Amino acid sequence: MLRKEIYFILGGPQGAGLETSSSVLTSAFTSEGYGVISDREYYSNIMGRHSYIHATVSSIRIPRSLTYPVDIVGAMDAETVFTHFNDLSKDGFIIYDSGTENTKIQQVISMEKEVYERIMEFLNKNNINQDIKSLVNYVEKNTKITPIKLDYRGILNTLRDKFSINSVEAQKYKSSILIGAVAGLTDIDSQSIATGIEQRFKGKQKIIDANKYIADFVKETIQKQFGSQLKLDHSSINMDEFIVSSGNDIVGMGKIVGGVRYQSYYPITPAADESVFLEAHQAISVNGKPISSIAVFQTEDEIAAITSAIGSALTGARSATATSGPGYSLMVEGLGWAGHNEVPLVITYYQRGGPSTGLPTRGSQSDLLFSLYSSHGEFPRIVIASGDNMEAFYDSIDAFNFAERYQLPVIHLLDKFLANVISTTPLPDFNQIKIDRGMLTFNPKVKGAYKRYDLSSPINERPALGSGVVMWHTGDEHNEYGHISEDPNNRRAMYEKRMKKLEIADKEIPIEKRAIYYGDENADFLLIGWGFVKGVALDAIEELKAQGLNGAYLHLKMFIPFPSKYVKGILDKFDNNRVIDVEHNIMGQAAQTITTNTGYIINKFILKYTGRPIYRMELVNAVKNILNNKSDREVLTYGE
Amino acid sequence: MARNWSDYKTNSWVQWCPACGNFGILLAMQKALAELDLPPEKTSIVSGIGCSSRIPYYVKTSNIHTLHGRPIPVAEGIKLANPEQTVIVASGDGDLLGIGAGHFVALGRRNMQIAILLHDNAVYGLTKGQAAPTLPLWLKTKALDAPNIQSQINPLLLAFASGYTFIARAYAYHVDQLKDLIKLAINHKGTALIDILQPCPTYNDIMSKEWYEKRIYYLTSADPSWDPNISSQEDFDMKAPKILDKMTEWGEKIPLGIFYRNISIEPLETRIEKILPGYLQYPPAKRPIDIKSKPIVHPFTEFKDRIVQT
Ligand SMILES: Cc1ncc(C[n+]2csc(CCOP(=O)(O)OP(=O)(O)O)c2C)c(N)n1
Ligand code: SF4
Ligand SMILES: [Mg+2]
Repeated sequence: MLRKEIYFILGGPQGAGLETSSSVLTSAFTSEGYGVISDREYYSNIMGRHSYIHATVSSIRIPRSLTYPVDIVGAMDAETVFTHFNDLSKDGFIIYDSGTENTKIQQVISMEKEVYERIMEFLNKNNINQDIKSLVNYVEKNTKITPIKLDYRGILNTLRDKFSINSVEAQKYKSSILIGAVAGLTDIDSQSIATGIEQRFKGKQKIIDANKYIADFVKETIQKQFGSQLKLDHSSINMDEFIVSSGNDIVGMGKIVGGVRYQSYYPITPAADESVFLEAHQAISVNGKPISSIAVFQTEDEIAAITSAIGSALTGARSATATSGPGYSLMVEGLGWAGHNEVPLVITYYQRGGPSTGLPTRGSQSDLLFSLYSSHGEFPRIVIASGDNMEAFYDSIDAFNFAERYQLPVIHLLDKFLANVISTTPLPDFNQIKIDRGMLTFNPKVKGAYKRYDLSSPINERPALGSGVVMWHTGDEHNEYGHISEDPNNRRAMYEKRMKKLEIADKEIPIEKRAIYYGDENADFLLIGWGFVKGVALDAIEELKAQGLNGAYLHLKMFIPFPSKYVKGILDKFDNNRVIDVEHNIMGQAAQTITTNTGYIINKFILKYTGRPIYRMELVNAVKNILNNKSDREVLTYGE
Repeated sequence: MARNWSDYKTNSWVQWCPACGNFGILLAMQKALAELDLPPEKTSIVSGIGCSSRIPYYVKTSNIHTLHGRPIPVAEGIKLANPEQTVIVASGDGDLLGIGAGHFVALGRRNMQIAILLHDNAVYGLTKGQAAPTLPLWLKTKALDAPNIQSQINPLLLAFASGYTFIARAYAYHVDQLKDLIKLAINHKGTALIDILQPCPTYNDIMSKEWYEKRIYYLTSADPSWDPNISSQEDFDMKAPKILDKMTEWGEKIPLGIFYRNISIEPLETRIEKILPGYLQYPPAKRPIDIKSKPIVHPFTEFKDRIVQT
């Protein structure tokens, strides 16, 4: 029977090329018309710790979420087999290396103690010896899972001889063994795999050929022995083109299209990849002719990152900085200065697990309240959050438009999940993209001393620094000319002028950019979420609908200014017992924000704060528990 | 018609204490700008927080009073986005060498064309006289309860070690000499530091006008053959020992003047141009990003390599 969707995990030590497997397979499936979403879970480590990619491939839609159990576990090493055999569906496939058969769990020194103990408990309970062979035997006897044993060393040896690659180098091709295995079971075309490999290794012919060779060889071996039992149905998605990209890269693309001209950063996971992407695109040319350049600047710390972006923004260049929690913590004094001086500035904020260094490579949504309230004093800011690649692309452009139109800092919230997930995204609609530079001018009419903060209007003409007028900027309270003033009347007027801009933004920014309701009139329960929750919430709703439960999802995109009336209007339509907040934090931060803005109190929560994404099956289950009054608060924990 | 120094005056009341060294620095700055005839809107004085950091309000150029310790990165952002802007940082010793020391060091590695005027009064003026990083060990100025137990930073050596390519020391009340140094610092193609000894009569009762004037002397008057100019590595190897020798002189005698001027190190602007040809011709701030509200960069042509056809 052909599959509508398949799910797989490929695991191995960090640094061994799983990213390659992920990007090649994503491109390959995409070029056959399937939709892919592929998450990458890894430790804060460069080499050796267990990492894995976890993907959904769909023939019926562009997939938005990940789920368990999986159909394939592809293991580069013994640790993957031990860690993930339990993630398999009852008729799944596990591909493993015959060379690891005798490996005992005690020999897997990279394994975390807690994981080890969990697995040991399972092995002991089921009287399984502590080596891979025994575990595979157990699986073979007690389940319908098919173990596929491959001789990795033998395969790499033929490669070594055929392409005169040395043994150390040959190890790098393990990722293509897994690519070939997945290709064999799902029967994707060799040509599609080749396209994926070529895209990944642009122009490096020998590497391309060697990878293709391995992938093809493994694909054939598997098909001969097992057939293509996971063959996907013909895709009904019906699109000609997709962008295949991580969230980091698509934000970079959005920024470039949106006209970023200055990006500062201090390296931090999971934000730095975006700046690296921008570094590769610093020269802006149209039809081959250079027309402009982006200054991408690695600063000495995040304080310099934000303050230099402020300096740059004053000159009229669209300016941004990208960071994560620890870096943002250092930025907040600068944020206040930008708000106070009406500086358009974009802060792209990739949340990860906090506090402190927290879980540097794991996802989280625990910085919403911080982003709303960070920095002393009161000043206007706009806070937006993106839920998927498409939103992230448009939001990266909107962030600049809002920043310049309202002359204030814009915080664009993303998270590690979106940053590292590679997925197929339909091409954005160029007609929808608009650049709005607000009141920026390079040619102010007034000459000489200038009222940068003219009180006659909340939003003033904004001359670029260096263009025709003499202006002052200061972090002290200032008068219309930007000179320090502590006069109480001036203070009141300036304070109100600044805050007034939020009222204008609230009136002007259309609701579809701020909150989106997915559901119909008859929905009788409501999930509320933001950011990466969007995909899994929508997929869960769909699955629940098939089970006879008609729910809706309210996706929050803008937290300042908050779309209070709209949100309250939707909430009031539902039975309070059937309004469920879904977030990646422990406090229910979005729910608190709803209460702050609307007075509405949410009493049901589904929360996950293990650093791993919310999976579809656990969300479906948790929603049912709440709707059945089994609990008010479900804490999700699935995933290694 | 060339500008006069009073063209760079504002009508703000200058709110420093009587006889504060900052007055000398202000006058020297206005004179230097006038003699260089710099267009006020194309010149930015960027300061941090402190008594000295009020100077932006008293000079009629397009100025920025930033956060405590942060004038350097703000200045860098301006310069990177718009290399045509003349950028001067004027700030306190606490600001630049205490809370902002990391930026002070990092700027040297970049050698951007930014002139740093360090208002060195050895105290935190605006917060009422606490010890600044340049206050010598065991000195007890009048606001201190006990003698200073932290030793002093040598700004010249710190700048030298960090890669500044123009390093000078001046005295706030020697307005004309300071003015000349400021002009040279502004025109220097790289990062310039002028450590300006600035008496603070209100809080630094020890390092007073009299204290300084007993000690200071000019390098060139003591040694007419004094040559701080370096144009090659050999030059550097030959002259560096003597330069360091003079930079470390502090006590009974305090030398003033240019200690080090190296024109063989290229500034960041030139380095960027090398990896990003066209940067100086099309700097980030200067070119449109849209044509009638449509982006200049089209996503499907720029990111072709990311598009997968089915
Ligand atoms: C983050 C922060 N910490 C502390 C202060 C308080 N503060 C204001 S000025 C100053 C010291 C100024 O000393 P210096 O930079 O030497 O300037 P001076 O007043 O001596 O010219 C301090 C600590 C501040 N404004 N910001
Ligand atoms: S406290 Fe010192 S530095 Fe500040 S204005 Fe008074 S004399 Fe000048
Ligand atoms: Mg001081």
